[in-house]
Amino acid sequence: MIAQRLAQAIAAGIRQIGQISILPDASGSGYSLCHIEDLDHLDTLTVHHGPDPAREISTWAEDGHYRFTKGELSLRRGWLLKLADAAELRAALDLFYPASVGLWLAHEDGRIDVQTLRDKLNRQTGMYRFARNLSNEGAQRLVREVCGPGNCCVKKILWDIQEGVPLEPSETSRWPGYLDTGTPAIPLYCREACNHFVAEARKASKAEFEARSS
Amino acid sequence: MPIAPKPGSALLIVGHGSTENPDSSTPYFDHADEIRRRGLFHEVHCCFWKEEPSMREARFLIDAPEVYIVPDFISEGYFTQDVIPREFELDGPTTHRHGKTWHYTLPVGVHDSMTGLLLRRAREVAPEVDPAETTLFIVGHGTGLNQNSTKAVRDQAERIAQSGAGYARVLDAYMEEAPFIADWHEIAETPSVVVVPFFISDGLHSYQDIPVLLGIETEVGPAASQREVFRHNPHQLRGKTLYYSSAIGTERLMADVILDQIADFDRTHRP
Repeated sequence: MIAQRLAQAIAAGIRQIGQISILPDASGSGYSLCHIEDLDHLDTLTVHHGPDPAREISTWAEDGHYRFTKGELSLRRGWLLKLADAAELRAALDLFYPASVGLWLAHEDGRIDVQTLRDKLNRQTGMYRFARNLSNEGAQRLVREVCGPGNCCVKKILWDIQEGVPLEPSETSRWPGYLDTGTPAIPLYCREACNHFVAEARKASKAEFEARSS
Repeated sequence: MPIAPKPGSALLIVGHGSTENPDSSTPYFDHADEIRRRGLFHEVHCCFWKEEPSMREARFLIDAPEVYIVPDFISEGYFTQDVIPREFELDGPTTHRHGKTWHYTLPVGVHDSMTGLLLRRAREVAPEVDPAETTLFIVGHGTGLNQNSTKAVRDQAERIAQSGAGYARVLDAYMEEAPFIADWHEIAETPSVVVVPFFISDGLHSYQDIPVLLGIETEVGPAASQREVFRHNPHQLRGKTLYYSSAIGTERLMADVILDQIADFDRTHRP
């Protein structure tokens, strides 16, 4: 059970995921969540109860833009979410970082299946079909321009460009999937390229085509 | 029709989602919350085409060994027949994969119980009108790419017309193919017109695009949740009295349609 294993991990010392600090209650059953940069002034934060407010908190960045990729390093500050038990904690984390706890557990168990970028692009249909024409060089460049902490994504990429073609060494390829605060953290994993990446791959593929044509 | 509790099953609601408008996914979460409150399933989750979690990631959310996938979509077409089966690697109504059993239902929009919901929404938005003096439009997107995309809208309009609700006419109309909703004032012969968008969410289409096509707005406005002033019915426009409702998918009872699709699936595929 995902919630139980999450509770066990926290009991064993896990305290962080993405930009969120996980604070077990002294009572032992409940939890609080806050932004990692708000840890030193918890008493000034706006308190919310239950998992539902996590959706609203994680929807908009501080500057008002819509965070449609939740791994984006733009989680707003100023809130404290109080959760009654591990089930509520798990539900809240699935709103902040969808499926990330389950992906982490699958990775721990060695049962996460990773899809290469080429397989992901090759299965696109409709308007995204053109993305499959992106060259490996273009794909490597796009990873540098779209993914990783330099581009505001906290997730660790697990996938290769294609079978036998790993990501070129870079800050992005070396990124562990968590912010190094010295606190034990659940890494966020990217097991296949997100739809934002596919949309960018389509644009890059078209640009390559146009460059060749001209 | 009530369904028996399924404590060993998960419900997975699949929505489109949007990279531009977060209102787009709100109804799916609302439908999930409503069903979760009823305690019928071991767990209830949402996943999306354009948002996270993706369909491919959704299985990592689920503990239960059996999953009902319900497309919270209006019509059968590209998404329900191509994209969703592909993303879940389905090979029929029931698929055994990744250590789980996956049951794939029809989309909510094609279920018979949708008819009552549309009618209820039409009455709520214009309670004072005389149906005999009113044309009811059920509005869909429409696309030249897939003929099925208009079928659900046309079917529901026909069912309402035959339901004895008493509207002078019940018509289907579309944003991007004929009959165009932009021509509502020419198509309708009655003094009153009610327009119900047959969409799941109050996203770009129902709250931004269609109001422009109807003439309520002169340009595409901000997303619904960012609006300070919501529209007020009725609108006196083009010589008629126009009532415009929010998208049908925002109706709380959509949760019942999701459950009805599951009950129908069990009757058809698991008798």
